[in-house]
Amino acid sequence: MRIELTVNGRLRHAEVPPMKLLIAVLREELGLCGTKEGCGEGECGACSVIMNGRLTNACLVPAVQASGSEILTIEGLGSSRDMDALQRAFVLEGGVQCGFCTPGMILAARALLEENPDPSAEEIKEALSGNICRCTGYERIYNAVRRAVAEGYCDTFRKRENLCSGQLPQPTGEGDERFLLPESLPEALSMLAENPGAVILAGTTDIVPDMKNGKFHAEKLLDISRLKEIKGIYKAGGEIHIGGCATNGDIIRSSLIRKYLPALWEASRRSGAPAVQNRATVAGNIATASGAADLPTILLPLGARVLLESVSGSRELPLERFIAGYRRTERREEELIAEIIIPTPPAGSYQKFFKRGSRRALTLSRISLGFCLEVEENVIKSFRAGAGSMSPVPIRLPKTEAAIEGKRLDETLIESAALAVSEELTPRKSAAWRKKMASNMLRTFLREVAEAEARKAKIEEIPDNEREGPKRLKGL
Amino acid sequence: MGEEFRIIGKSLPRFDGPVKVAGESRFLADIDIPDCWVGGVVRSDTPRGLLKGIRTLPAFEETGAVLVTAADIPGENCVAIVRRDYPALAAPDINYATQALALVAAPDRERLARAAAAVEVDIEPLPPIFTVEESEARKELIWGEDNLIDHYRTERGELEKGFAEADMVVEGEWETGLQEQLYLETQGMAAWRSGDGIELLGSMQCPFYVVNAVSVALGLPHEKVTVRQSVTGGAFGGKEDYPSILGVYAALLAWKSGRKVKMIYERSEDLLVSPKRHPSKSRYRMGLTKEGKITALDVDIRLDAGAYTTLSRVVLQRTHLHAAGCYYVPNIRIESRAWATNTPPNGAFRGFGAPQAIFAMERTMDLAAERLGIDPLDIRLLNTIKHGDRFPYGQIMREGNNAEAVLLKAAELSDYRRRRELLSHQGGGRLRRGIGISLGLHGGGFTGSGEEKMGTTAKVTFDGEKFRIYTSSTEMGQGASTVLPMVAAEALGAELEDVLYIEPDSSRTPNTGPTVASRTTMYAGKAVQDACENLKKMIENGGAPLAGKALTEAAKKYLRDNGRAEALGYNIFTDGQSWDEENFTGDAYHGYAWIANAVEIELDMDSYEATPRFAAIAAEVGRAINPMQAKAQLTGGVLQAFGWAHIEDLKVDANGRYTAAHMNAYMAPTTLDTPEWKVELLEDPCPAGCYGAKGLGELPCDAGAAAFVAAIDHAAQIFSHCAPMTGEKIFEAIEKRDNGGE
Repeated sequence: MRIELTVNGRLRHAEVPPMKLLIAVLREELGLCGTKEGCGEGECGACSVIMNGRLTNACLVPAVQASGSEILTIEGLGSSRDMDALQRAFVLEGGVQCGFCTPGMILAARALLEENPDPSAEEIKEALSGNICRCTGYERIYNAVRRAVAEGYCDTFRKRENLCSGQLPQPTGEGDERFLLPESLPEALSMLAENPGAVILAGTTDIVPDMKNGKFHAEKLLDISRLKEIKGIYKAGGEIHIGGCATNGDIIRSSLIRKYLPALWEASRRSGAPAVQNRATVAGNIATASGAADLPTILLPLGARVLLESVSGSRELPLERFIAGYRRTERREEELIAEIIIPTPPAGSYQKFFKRGSRRALTLSRISLGFCLEVEENVIKSFRAGAGSMSPVPIRLPKTEAAIEGKRLDETLIESAALAVSEELTPRKSAAWRKKMASNMLRTFLREVAEAEARKAKIEEIPDNEREGPKRLKGL
Repeated sequence: MGEEFRIIGKSLPRFDGPVKVAGESRFLADIDIPDCWVGGVVRSDTPRGLLKGIRTLPAFEETGAVLVTAADIPGENCVAIVRRDYPALAAPDINYATQALALVAAPDRERLARAAAAVEVDIEPLPPIFTVEESEARKELIWGEDNLIDHYRTERGELEKGFAEADMVVEGEWETGLQEQLYLETQGMAAWRSGDGIELLGSMQCPFYVVNAVSVALGLPHEKVTVRQSVTGGAFGGKEDYPSILGVYAALLAWKSGRKVKMIYERSEDLLVSPKRHPSKSRYRMGLTKEGKITALDVDIRLDAGAYTTLSRVVLQRTHLHAAGCYYVPNIRIESRAWATNTPPNGAFRGFGAPQAIFAMERTMDLAAERLGIDPLDIRLLNTIKHGDRFPYGQIMREGNNAEAVLLKAAELSDYRRRRELLSHQGGGRLRRGIGISLGLHGGGFTGSGEEKMGTTAKVTFDGEKFRIYTSSTEMGQGASTVLPMVAAEALGAELEDVLYIEPDSSRTPNTGPTVASRTTMYAGKAVQDACENLKKMIENGGAPLAGKALTEAAKKYLRDNGRAEALGYNIFTDGQSWDEENFTGDAYHGYAWIANAVEIELDMDSYEATPRFAAIAAEVGRAINPMQAKAQLTGGVLQAFGWAHIEDLKVDANGRYTAAHMNAYMAPTTLDTPEWKVELLEDPCPAGCYGAKGLGELPCDAGAAAFVAAIDHAAQIFSHCAPMTGEKIFEAIEKRDNGGE
């Protein structure tokens, strides 16, 4: 397949198999060996590049999807004789040892600074949390980022032009016609109607590792990465719509989600690390129907529905029905997930996402929980709970919900809720530990709700005239 | 200190920094070797058995691939490391899952995969043993006559008398787990025939180890084997012995096929087959006075060696010699054993056996402190080894009281006493904090008379423009290519820009020894220093000392007059130390580096997640040649120790395979699992080391885990006996405490 890329400000072409990964295209076809492979599965960050302005693991992007992109690699910063301020800061601050993670680390820092020119210490840590460095203990890397900022590095940034023609990758080799490359939703749907069962390529964060491990085979592949109309996130009719191609990164950057669905925002933020978040789609996270998926845990209690479209029309399914079983969904072969629709939670309601992985970032959940709750007059009006990583697929917890709904929010209830969730969950491994964590997390959530309600009650006790303070000041 | 240096002691940035930040460094995968084939390994999926046969299906021939079996090995079928018990290819005994049975080379990856799939092996399975208990009980005999790979014993003083003098005896059983080095660049080697010899290029720590191993397997004299190091993306011990193994594979394939052959592991293969830190189980019985003074210590340590010796003998030696940690113990018995199991051979990982022993000793100190109601800091201060005291193996401590000094410094940096007191009364919230402190030491260089026997040699030449340093000391991220030129420039009186570090190449660099054992700055540096001083004398020819440009001008003249300008240098000891290998007693090391860690962690009582928030490191490292790089070594190494303490959880499954086949199953610390650091260096120059330097590379891995686990205990109000203390284990300990039991 003939692809085009804008790499480091130059238009480049290559003829490669469609599923050849961007890292291999850069290294083998374009001779850009600064991008390193540490794991080939998006688990180390050594191959980080900036693709279309976003930090991306080059090992997770097939050529067919990379085509048409604007890419910045380490070679696009400075050379050893003419380092840019960030590279120089890494040297001067001692942020380099063996040097293998360094190009990816520098690009992760660069991607952060392009979005946030004055990051806090915590923001730097989070931005680099998908880049494993085994040598330094990291602190000198943060110092390097801070030094570059202080030296005005961000003022040197210029907009990078994408020089690509916009033409689709051209089939040139045997089997290239297996790849369907729609540019609009209607086109995608008709291609899918003609090729039912085509495997859908979106963020490829699961497919690429499967491919590497010999677990992925497909007759036909439909690349939906060019469908602009299903990338957006918007609010309409009291509901929030997340496009089928919107990524975790889009969720994290969405003020709408942060405002109305903070628990979903948290779930996206805790899923993988920045470079993975920029690729992994919300739809993909539910379509893989994996037990360890993070988003369904909160999407289930949020009452999410899946909008499926095909040439013959559209239909909606509640997420619970959509996920039919381990690695199985109700999506018909000719259907695409066009949107995930979430009712805006009532004002004053509570929601929370908990995750515990084996470490703080870039890790699969050992347990995840999602809670949505409404209280009225200290009585629980509604409660919905989701749980992940403890069953073949993420599930709702109806018994726990029933044990809580309609009850008075007090310590007795909190304890019986904690007991109920522990009894309802049946994790296969490490059961006692996971049940206990679930109890703890639900207890903490309910206590936080109770405290917030108590605070609210206190504010309400303040006479109106005293609450008007600021207004009176204005009047002066 | 009085002594003035021009360059030593300066915090210079790394000289290889610019090429690394620009992505210009050429690691093995980045080097295009024209017409190069790729090699792969056919492995056993059976942990123990007999290889009855290997055959190829017709599909094999179609690929044009070349197969190497044990019958094709021209020399000895072994990878020569410490012993020669480790076969290059199993024949017929198979002793661990993933053991190499045959090798395949093919023109490209795709054909390699097809060819390897067309190799069939016939294995008669035998019952495996996976634990040291089974090995000890000789449930099956899998190694030698008794499964015992090595055994050391030390006694000093009168143990029974010591226990009789004790007011209290504490006893603890301790356990530590496997740990993967997780260098970011995976293992890789390339080999090709050259004349009647062979050349290898790859990622490694020890070029001459590879020379030796390949020479034995191919039946070639050493001079017919040339080994060059490519830029090495981290090693941490993981590239000490394994490149000999992979080097033998690549060499065998290149030898038979006549092709250039490159082998670079994917991460998954690397995780599954490369050596790990030895798991340990130990029992410590300690007698103390009621004031907390140690009167007696009885130690029994067992390491799980895996299926063959590889480095286990020398790892065990270090475990044995570090068993009492930084304390003076008048009456002591130490027994240590390494047992064979049907698991991949365990090997070198930064610390090299010391971390297991120090974890056990430090935890025993914590246990004693708890039983006596003394603060962990105080019980340590009471017992640190002092100038004039004897180590268990008889060596008299000739250094300053550095154990005490680093402890006090770490306590000060972390505000230990105030934090410990404050956090002891924090109540029962969800987020609890705890602080732990630990102490460790590391003997620099080889154990016993190893350094004397090594013959460490360096060469320095003047090429008409620059001084060139030839050593076999590899740069793997630790900074040898920065520190050795600093040493050379200092010794020569030359400008830094006039000194060049030459990448190790066995055909032109002398044998400075392997780049292991925290010996490079301390001892390879000393050989470089000696070579430089010798060359300088030749150039100055009895005249006044020269420096800078005057020196290079004189060197040019010397070169014109003599045709060449070069000198060798050696690591010579004048401290009169002696070691009795037979009885395993005497002066085990010429210098010790010391470290104390204090770490404050936050424990989420909902999720049992421990997160380090703050860590203080105080380390006495002799003279710090480059303090910034020294500190960077410390934070990186202590973070590895912290990872081992709580998240780096690796086991062997029911089939004898590691539980992590991908990085998503092996949890090394990310930025979010890392504390804020405060690091301070103390310097008590060591007369035996280069400009007073001591080895510090491994030191940071030695004691960090004990402090981390102590901090978890402090936060959770439990007492832990193992590393890693994963969240699940923390939960279980709390449950056990609350529901009776301990």
